[in-house]
Parts: sequence; C-alpha cells; structure tokens
Amino acid sequence: MSNDDLTINIVNVTGDSYCISADDGDKVYEKIIMGFENNRKVVLSFLNVEMLTTAFLNTSIGRLYEHYSEEDVKANLEVRDIATDDKVSLKRVVDTAKLYYQDGKEALEESIQKIMEE
Amino acid sequence: MLESSLLRDIENSFESYQRLITFYEESKNKSKINLVLESWFAANMAAALGAVLDIFLNELKDISFKFDQSNADIEAVLRKNDFLTYFGYERRKDSNNTTIPYQKLAPSETRAFHEYLVNKFVKRSELPEMSEVLTREVTKSIYEIFVNAQMHSETRFIYSCGQYFPKKNDLEFTIVDTGKGFKKNINERFNRELSGAQAIAWAVQDTHTTKRHVTGGLGLALLKEFIFHNGGRLQIISDDGFYQYDKNGDDSRNFAGAFPGTIVNLKFKTNDKSSYYCENAELDLDDIF
Repeated sequence: MSNDDLTINIVNVTGDSYCISADDGDKVYEKIIMGFENNRKVVLSFLNVEMLTTAFLNTSIGRLYEHYSEEDVKANLEVRDIATDDKVSLKRVVDTAKLYYQDGKEALEESIQKIMEE
Repeated sequence: MLESSLLRDIENSFESYQRLITFYEESKNKSKINLVLESWFAANMAAALGAVLDIFLNELKDISFKFDQSNADIEAVLRKNDFLTYFGYERRKDSNNTTIPYQKLAPSETRAFHEYLVNKFVKRSELPEMSEVLTREVTKSIYEIFVNAQMHSETRFIYSCGQYFPKKNDLEFTIVDTGKGFKKNINERFNRELSGAQAIAWAVQDTHTTKRHVTGGLGLALLKEFIFHNGGRLQIISDDGFYQYDKNGDDSRNFAGAFPGTIVNLKFKTNDKSSYYCENAELDLDDIF
C-alpha cells in the first residue's frame, strides 16, 4: 500500500458497529468522495462492522457509480475485513448499481409497464 | 348503547387481514370503539392492530377492549407481549418465553430498534435455539424491513412484534407503518395507476426502487431468496394490496377496502440448519467492483 492510501474505518464514521440506515451510508459516501477528490486511493475497512443492510451499501458505495466509471471505482476503492455474507450483499449492490446508472430509468419504466400488462 | 366492533380469529391469513381492514374501514366514522377480540388473536398481529388503533387515538377516538371470557388467552397473550400496557393494562410476565414484545418507535430511532432486537431477540437465551447463521440472517432481514419503512413510508411510527410457535418451529415477526404504502409511492413516482397488489409485486423484484439517484430494491429481493431457502413466508399488506411468497410461489390479491399503511409479516423456520452463502464464500474481493 502506498502512503497515499486513505483508510476509512466504517465504524468510526458511523459511530456504530451496526450499519443499518441509509443516512449512515451517506456519511461513508461523503468520506469516500473526499478521498477521490483529493486523488487518494480509498481503503474501506469493515473491521468490527457486525451487521449491515443493502440500504447502507446502496448509499455508501452503490451511489458511486452515478459519478464514477467502473474502472475508476475499481482503481481507487478497496475493501477489506468484510464478512462473507456482507461481501455477497456488496457484490449484488454493485452489480445493481452498474445496471441502474447505465439504463436505470428506462428499465424501471419498462418494468412498470410490464407489470400492468400481466 | 355503544355498538361493539368484533375481531374474530385473527391469524396470518388473507382473510384475517381482510377482517382487520374491514374493522378499520367501519370504525373510521365512529367516535368510540369498543373492540371485542374473540376466539384467536395471533400475538404478532398486535403490531398491525396497534398501528390502526394509534390512528384512531390520534383522532381522539375513545378505545376500549372486551375479551371473549370463554377464552382468556387473548387478553393474557396481549398483556404478556406488552401490547395492552399501551392501553392502560398492567404487564404480565411471559412465563412461556415465546413473545418478542410489541414495540412502537419513531422512524429515526434506528439505535433503539437495534437495542430492541438485540435484547428481545438475539440475546434471549431462553428463546428456542437457532443456529448462529440463521439468527444473523433473520436479524438482517428484519433490519431490511425496518429500513424500508424508515426510508419510504413517511410514517409517524414503526410498530413491531414477534411470536414464537415452538411446536411448529415458527417465528413470526411483523413490522407495520402507517405511511404512504407501496401503491401511492410507486404511482406518484411513475405517474401510473397500479393496484395495490401490482405495486407490491413490482417492488419485490430485484432492483426495483422508487428512489431517485440512489440504487435500491435489493432488500426485498434478497429477503425473498432467504425465505425460499429457509422455508418461511413473506407477506406484505399495503393499501388494498396483498402479496405472499413462500415455497409454493407468489400469491397477489386485492382487498375490499385498504389498510392505512403497510404490514410486513415474516415467518421463519427456526429449525433450519442450512449454512447460507457457502457457494459464494470464495468470492474474490478484487472481483466486486
């Protein structure tokens, strides 16, 4: 790891080992953005996070794909010390975010039309 | 003489929810409500009843209860799970250790909800034993539903209550809000006219969300996957819509009348020994982004 890496301890940002609310996710998102804007690679540590929700992951990490490309996120964000089940949730959140910010609005409108026709 | 309202045989079926909705619709214009609970009342449904009665209390209606004296269990159960203590009754000790108490919290009280779940569920050693993995998955599912209500409903309070049925190895946990509901949220967001059942059926699908600029919609989809593996059941009652998912598949219907908010009822099998996520345990961190 280079000296330019910025380590963000999630528990320190949220003040809680249970990362449940979307608002707590917002706090982590703002820290990540600060790192990116200062050209720092961000290392996001999930150490001591006991539980998290997809709502938290959506606002903290999923939202990054609205403003940053997949390549940028991959190059500048690293996660560590994450529980296996949380890792699986994060992967689902990231895959969803990539799709959503690619063609989200149109896909949602289409899905509404489809359910009305069923 | 005060005309009584009867709620009979309230468990976790479409018909029971319909009876609760009919009670709500018929009581809207009354100034005094004498509620007779008869035959059976599933303790977890206290969350739904409490939400309805709170709307009436907010409208300054007088509420009283009458219990079927041939079956004293309803009053006993609703005192043991704290529900009736919100209506002037004394608390009774739950010597069977099968209740997760009735709780009413403002949406902003995430930490209080967390303490409630930990103290009244996760750390209760006297409750039937569940595997560590299962307890974690169940708890996570409950948090997802709480956060959904917090984010989408604009409710004044979130009501919750749970009940173990040891002989059946079932845990029923119910979370209720008196907010906008799926139908209004989705129809406002997309300027459409979905029925309640259509709105819920749309919302439980992967990636579907009414939020702008933030991804979402995964919570309910992941919950469905867990319910499928666990053998449990998910029920959502919102406005005039009913949705149920279990091993037999989906069931969507509309009620006569509407519930003033959303009920999410989760049933988990407590004797499930599966170890979830094994197939994904090797997921490489480098492959996530």
